[in-house]
Amino acid sequence: MDQAKTTRTVVVTNRAGLHLRAALQIFQLVREFSVEIELVVDRQRAKATDMLQIVALGASQGTEVTLEAAGPEADAALDALASLFAAGFHEEDS
Amino acid sequence: MKKLQGIAVSPGVAIGEALVLDMEGFRIPRRFVARDTVEYELERLEQAIESACAEIARNRDAVTGELGDKYGAIFEAHLQILQGSQLRDELEELIRERHYSPEYAVSRVMRRYAEVFQKVQNRNVGDLADIEKRLLRQLLGRRREELAELTSPVLVLAHNLTPSETANLDRKFVRGFVTEVGGPGSHTAIVAAALEIPAVVGTGPFMTEVSGGDLVIIDGDKGWVILHPDEETIARYRHEAEQLRSMAARLGELRDLPAVTADGVRIELMGNIEFPYEVDHCVERGADGIGLYRTEFLYLGTDREPDEEDHFQAYSRVVRTMAGKPVTIRTFDLGADKVPNLPSPEDERNPALGQRSIRLSLRNVPMFRKQLRAVLRASALGNVRVMFPLVSTLLELRQAKMILADVMEDLEERQIPFRRDVPVGIMVEVPAVVMMIEHFVEEVDFLSIGTNDLIQYTLAVDRSNKDMVWLYNASDPAVLKLIDKTVQAAKRRSLPVNLCGQMSGNPLYTMLLLGLGLRQLSVPPSAIPEIKRLCRSVTMRDCESVARHALTLENARDVTSYLRRELNKQRSEFTA
Repeated sequence: MDQAKTTRTVVVTNRAGLHLRAALQIFQLVREFSVEIELVVDRQRAKATDMLQIVALGASQGTEVTLEAAGPEADAALDALASLFAAGFHEEDS
Repeated sequence: MKKLQGIAVSPGVAIGEALVLDMEGFRIPRRFVARDTVEYELERLEQAIESACAEIARNRDAVTGELGDKYGAIFEAHLQILQGSQLRDELEELIRERHYSPEYAVSRVMRRYAEVFQKVQNRNVGDLADIEKRLLRQLLGRRREELAELTSPVLVLAHNLTPSETANLDRKFVRGFVTEVGGPGSHTAIVAAALEIPAVVGTGPFMTEVSGGDLVIIDGDKGWVILHPDEETIARYRHEAEQLRSMAARLGELRDLPAVTADGVRIELMGNIEFPYEVDHCVERGADGIGLYRTEFLYLGTDREPDEEDHFQAYSRVVRTMAGKPVTIRTFDLGADKVPNLPSPEDERNPALGQRSIRLSLRNVPMFRKQLRAVLRASALGNVRVMFPLVSTLLELRQAKMILADVMEDLEERQIPFRRDVPVGIMVEVPAVVMMIEHFVEEVDFLSIGTNDLIQYTLAVDRSNKDMVWLYNASDPAVLKLIDKTVQAAKRRSLPVNLCGQMSGNPLYTMLLLGLGLRQLSVPPSAIPEIKRLCRSVTMRDCESVARHALTLENARDVTSYLRRELNKQRSEFTA
């Protein structure tokens, strides 16, 4: 990503971690914005649009995830993503 | 080239294309593709992904419509994984750079992710397995179904073959079997011998070294499997296979000639069979009957006990095909562990000496009656003889005959046709029976000497124990004396006496057995031509002198080398 990046750090709050359903929600949300986002855990990166990569991050409950966004709607997208993480991906058991 | 050593369980040589089945019975295709087909393979992958996506989208819409978004979401996730660039890039790289077949690439990549998923989250990886299966189904498509409808000859290589797998293979095109595990008594061994195709079992792991379509050689005589053979090896085996074929063709000419010695003594040469279709092999070779029809296959590879109709269907096929020639049906000859619904015996430390065979039939009368009813019904269709295995005492024989009489009465009441005078005989395979043979001949219509068990019980040696197998020897003088005593007792009563078991199919023993007075031999169908040729080339006078001398020898080694000398003499005269 060449443009200036906006970053934000969030924490995985739901018990199950970043599994397939969570990854799907991230993907669906990011798709609505004009933005490119990567998730970074330690040094491993995952495109927000590739669920296989997201799940392969292996982020469990309590893990810190850095979100790097670039694009006209970067801030709005990050706000929305941060709420999604905070809401524990709307899992009943989180 | 790589040579694997296994256990030879069915003789012959086969050269051909490998059909490899994985642990789940899935066909493993070629692992690598040629450089110039890479673009074609990528196109195939692309199409498979597209079709899989369309299929998933349909599932998603159906489930969403029925149950709501929340349930459709998982299909949406599958769809996005398949459409994501990560998966495609990885697959493409493996196919383009490493020349993996798309199938192989898919299973490698998906299994790697499954490992990662499992490690990091300890979560169920069913989603990935599901996607993998979907893609493979698209890629293999028709090719997987073709397992049952092969169109060209193949050699089947697998970790192990279950009865249902062998049942689903198209017998016409299977030319050989190799399994990583298994021994001489394994299902693969039995089926291969019945199909008369070469087989090697117990080779140890090889699945990672062979792909579908590779050229493989099976040497069922030496127990070798040769992967990626070189030109010289292929040429040598082609030559050998050609020689075997022409020899079989020459022996085939004997089909319509009787087994009669050079001095005019008629020998009845019969076949041992396990599966009903083997009766065709017997007819093709002009067998004089079925000397041993093992009925155990009805109990194996099924999760329910066979019913009377299962028995009857199998028997009637054999009896009708033999068209009036004798068919000797041996009743159930297995241990309790092989029969669905029977309680496993608690105290079976020594199965060969335990609850099996006739002993089990006598303790499970309903099961036994079912089989006897079917045998009797089949007796109305031809020349059926019923034979009880592993009898040890007269009481057992009488009990079995009483149950048979009881079943007869029952059939009579219901006016179901059968032959009341169906001949009843026993297998002579326990030394106690030979010691009491004068009594037994008073109560049976025929005898059949089962040498495989007789040797085992006489020498007290487990024939499947590879450390003790040296002691297991048909040439042992004690075994010969038991055979001699049995034949003499039968002769005095003019009872037919047959000899089945591996000994009868081995040309080494033919002169000896004829000389001991046997006039019936029952052999594997494939051995009929060779034994017949031998019978036709010897005189009874020579055979009797061989038997007389053999009975004077005091150990197995001397007997074997004497018989070998006599056989070579015969053969050189025959070819001279």
